[in-house]
Amino acid sequence: MKLTKTAKALALAALVGAGTQLASTDVASAKTADGKWLIYLSLSYSGNSWQSEAANIVKALAATPPFKDTVELVEVISGTDPQAQISDYESMIAKGADGIVSFPISSTALNRVVQRGCKEGVLFFMYDATVTEQCAYNISYITSGFGENTAQALVNALDGKGKIFLSRGVPGNSVDDRHTNGAMHIFNQYPGIDVVAEYYSYWDDRTTQQETAKALAAHPDVDGIWAQAGEYGAIQALLQANPNRLVPVTGENSNGFRLALANPDYQAIGLDGVSAGSPPAQSGFAFKIMMEILNGTREPLPEGQRNIEYPLPWVPGDAVKLCEGDKFENGCNTFPEGKVPSSFVTEVFNPELLPELSLASALEGKPTEGAEIQPLPADAVKAAPNEPGINCRQCEAPENLYHLTKVEPTVQP
Amino acid sequence: MQNEKTIASAVAEQEDNRATAKISGEFVTIAAIFGLTFAMILASRAISPSFGSWSQVETILYLSSFLVFCAFGQGLVILVRGLDLSIASVITLGGVLTASLMNGSNEGFLYLVPAILGACIVVGLISGIGVAYFRVPPFIMTMAVGLIVYSLCLGFTRGTPRGYPAPLLSGFMQDKFLGVPAPVYLLLAFVVFGTILQSYSVFGRKLNAVGNNPLAAYIAGLPSGVLIVSAYAMSALCAGFTGMMLAGYANGATLRMGDSYLLPSIAAVVVGGSSILGGQGNFVGTVGGALLLTALATILTALGIEQGWKTIMEGGVILFALIALREQSFAFLREVLGKRG
Amino acid sequence: MASIEVNTPRQSRGLPTVRQIVESAFPIIVIYVVMATIYSVVQPSALSLYSIESLFNNSLPLMLAAAGATFVILQGGFDLSVAGIISLANVVVAVAPVEGPLGAVANLAMVIAIGLLVGAVNGYVVAYLRIQAIAATLATMIICKGVALLILGAPGGYVSDFMAYELTASIFGAVPIAVVIAVAVMVFWSVFRTTNSGRSLLAVGQDENAAALSGIDVARTRFASFLWAGAFYGAAGYMLAAQTATGNPNGGDPFLLLTFAAVALGGTAFGGGRGGVTASLFGAATLMLMQKVLFAVGVSSFYTGVIQGAIMILAVLFSAFVQAVTSRRNSL
Repeated sequence: MKLTKTAKALALAALVGAGTQLASTDVASAKTADGKWLIYLSLSYSGNSWQSEAANIVKALAATPPFKDTVELVEVISGTDPQAQISDYESMIAKGADGIVSFPISSTALNRVVQRGCKEGVLFFMYDATVTEQCAYNISYITSGFGENTAQALVNALDGKGKIFLSRGVPGNSVDDRHTNGAMHIFNQYPGIDVVAEYYSYWDDRTTQQETAKALAAHPDVDGIWAQAGEYGAIQALLQANPNRLVPVTGENSNGFRLALANPDYQAIGLDGVSAGSPPAQSGFAFKIMMEILNGTREPLPEGQRNIEYPLPWVPGDAVKLCEGDKFENGCNTFPEGKVPSSFVTEVFNPELLPELSLASALEGKPTEGAEIQPLPADAVKAAPNEPGINCRQCEAPENLYHLTKVEPTVQP
Repeated sequence: MQNEKTIASAVAEQEDNRATAKISGEFVTIAAIFGLTFAMILASRAISPSFGSWSQVETILYLSSFLVFCAFGQGLVILVRGLDLSIASVITLGGVLTASLMNGSNEGFLYLVPAILGACIVVGLISGIGVAYFRVPPFIMTMAVGLIVYSLCLGFTRGTPRGYPAPLLSGFMQDKFLGVPAPVYLLLAFVVFGTILQSYSVFGRKLNAVGNNPLAAYIAGLPSGVLIVSAYAMSALCAGFTGMMLAGYANGATLRMGDSYLLPSIAAVVVGGSSILGGQGNFVGTVGGALLLTALATILTALGIEQGWKTIMEGGVILFALIALREQSFAFLREVLGKRG
Repeated sequence: MASIEVNTPRQSRGLPTVRQIVESAFPIIVIYVVMATIYSVVQPSALSLYSIESLFNNSLPLMLAAAGATFVILQGGFDLSVAGIISLANVVVAVAPVEGPLGAVANLAMVIAIGLLVGAVNGYVVAYLRIQAIAATLATMIICKGVALLILGAPGGYVSDFMAYELTASIFGAVPIAVVIAVAVMVFWSVFRTTNSGRSLLAVGQDENAAALSGIDVARTRFASFLWAGAFYGAAGYMLAAQTATGNPNGGDPFLLLTFAAVALGGTAFGGGRGGVTASLFGAATLMLMQKVLFAVGVSSFYTGVIQGAIMILAVLFSAFVQAVTSRRNSL
């Protein structure tokens, strides 16, 4: 199955019909003009810290030796319209892409063009969001149990009883659905837990703040908030409603949220919780696996086994540790106030998988001085369980889908 | 020439009559919107005991203020038979500039505020000039300008808006005065100012005239082009101001902070009794529309039902309000009131 | 502006002929051809059957949506329900797929029925209760989105193989079915606009009072325009399902503004009375082609929006210029 450049060109020539002769010559010239791999970085939506950090990580890696001389990286932003990303994938395939590392806007709508790209020998690596087409690689934390683990942590903090809010993502979105199903699997076991309000915050700080403020108008006596990304807005809303009372909040990885969790003043008035969720570093991991496959130092995985799990970050309040430099070193995981915006998503580094990166990589896409691309550890790639609608279509989810991995229940239902 | 003038004055007279006849109708419509909003808040007590309380009203007033600010500008543009789709992007522009230029310090606050709002006005001027002088349809002109502004914000911030608004601004948004959030006073002042500007100032009357009958306004010698451009500039100013206030509220900016205001700003204006065909509208009605929409959203958030049903209810209530508030529904009521008067 | 034209009586006399429709679509056809030429020069593989097929498959949903919206805009209305109906049609096809060619017809009948139903609600509220179209259709759009969410909580479902593969292929391996459908809509429009219904539609858009005086039932014409629009939106959601092979409860969202941009780009006047479906089809095709051209010439990062916005404004100015020149020549 190992595809060398020539083998791929041959396969390609065999696949394309007479009508696409022009395309195939175009492919060859694009790829061999300067002997570099032609890689596209395809974003759908761009306009929040998370997306730009994830993109910057790939840009920084591509500018780090030896990729600097072997990779031609082209960034394409398609916007929120799936039709636009379909169109751009088509264009990339026609341009003779060797690989596409991408944040897909839809888990299903892109399948057809992805399948067609695979047939033309293009490697597809999706990060964070996934597609259900089996020929693409999905590198994602989605299967790592964000929903159920944070829900259990909240239940533990509340001693198994209390009124809570669910601050969700985008209605009708498969990722939001998966997280919430996991969380409800836990909450439903505890009759003492009462979900009094459930609202959609579009993974945005400001929307979360406004939606939480609305819910607080009805339930000022809420005991805890389970939030997806945008969690820092929930804390701001709580403080706005009552500067002297906070409640346990679980959420994702914004720097503002982590600083709040570690703030002794906030802890004193009731804040408790855990920071977990989607790490932008997934993009860098996806890109490195793809390059190792292209360079022939890693065996491609057979179709149907290309779902790779990225480990879930897990930082409770007492584990927040400020970084002194521009990297995650000595177990630090948060940046001091003022160094990055509060919406900055902290999980941009991974000392084992991505030792090449520093803060300038995440913020500006610049390579770290003196860094060189390190091979991934042998055990880096961990298969993800099947989840219908997330990373496969007609498949069975494992029985223990929502088993807890990061936290033990400290209260019984 | 003479002939034309008589036509113009005849047209103007006719319009005048209609306008006076509409005042009582407008008043009833506005009273009905506020009544409906109030009834909804009272009825929501059934959902949660904390509802119907003063603190809920405070939250609704606070959150609706952002919508009121930008809906005022949208209303002026609609008054001159336009539509401003660039509102979302200009809100983002205002917010992003506020966060990045103020950068968490009060230094230069007094000249940064006009500078930021000035940048937003420039955007409005461009839209207005395109619509008034190059005859680009408002829909496509403002949509294209919005696209361009958003894209510039994206490039300017490289996708990550940084910085914080001045502590003066974020402090104001958190402040309470006599137990009421400071922005609520700002909202009241804005409503008074907006009403005077739209309905009782010379500028407002001229805008009304252009919207009512562009041909008559043209013949009467009103500078339609300048007036139309100024409506778009006002809209951009209001949107920029909304962005600035939002940045103060959230203590930072995001690139999609304006998205959730585009359609509601149009809906607030139209629910408030203004005609999308221009020349008819009252800012107090728009404020009522904004309050109604915000109250509805607040109540729906607290309802423990599936999102699909919530969405259906949201659309249903808007549709109901539109049907219930149309003028024909009050024909009878108006007749009675008219007789008494 | 359009509003001034409404008050001038010369326009309500003499309805435009077929030749005039082609003329009204002429500028956008020129723009489309120029873009297509640039694209095929920069990207020679653009001329392969596969590329053409995928481009048109990708464009067809927007083209159908724009065609539908044109009916409402021509009579002077506005219809935001497009986003809701497309989402609803899209999820219905995906949760109730029927196999085979007859199944595809059954699915089509389902979505058109949905479109007609929502269109009838819009039409009744706007034409008979006289509620402002933009607000009424905003409400129905929100309701449709709610129903779509209830039917399918997250993207998924399946589309019959016939729809997913046959409807997106080519006839005799030469002409993409998407092109056949687009041409069929153009032919339909050129016939429709010469019928009484078509004439009424344009007459109401040009001058409501004059139309009423000449015996046209204005309310009924308005009502009918929403029915046509709903049916086309349903078909757009259907083709979206065929192209993506799944359902998505938010599938219609991107269409909201794009549909009206396509209509405006085609040169149809907001406020009514001037323009046509053919022009809107080309307007939609141009928007989708623009994505390809921007990629091909390498404009592809943060500042894409600047170029997109500038092209939209320039295209409208160009259309207006061509129209001014041709109308001056005609009047001489």
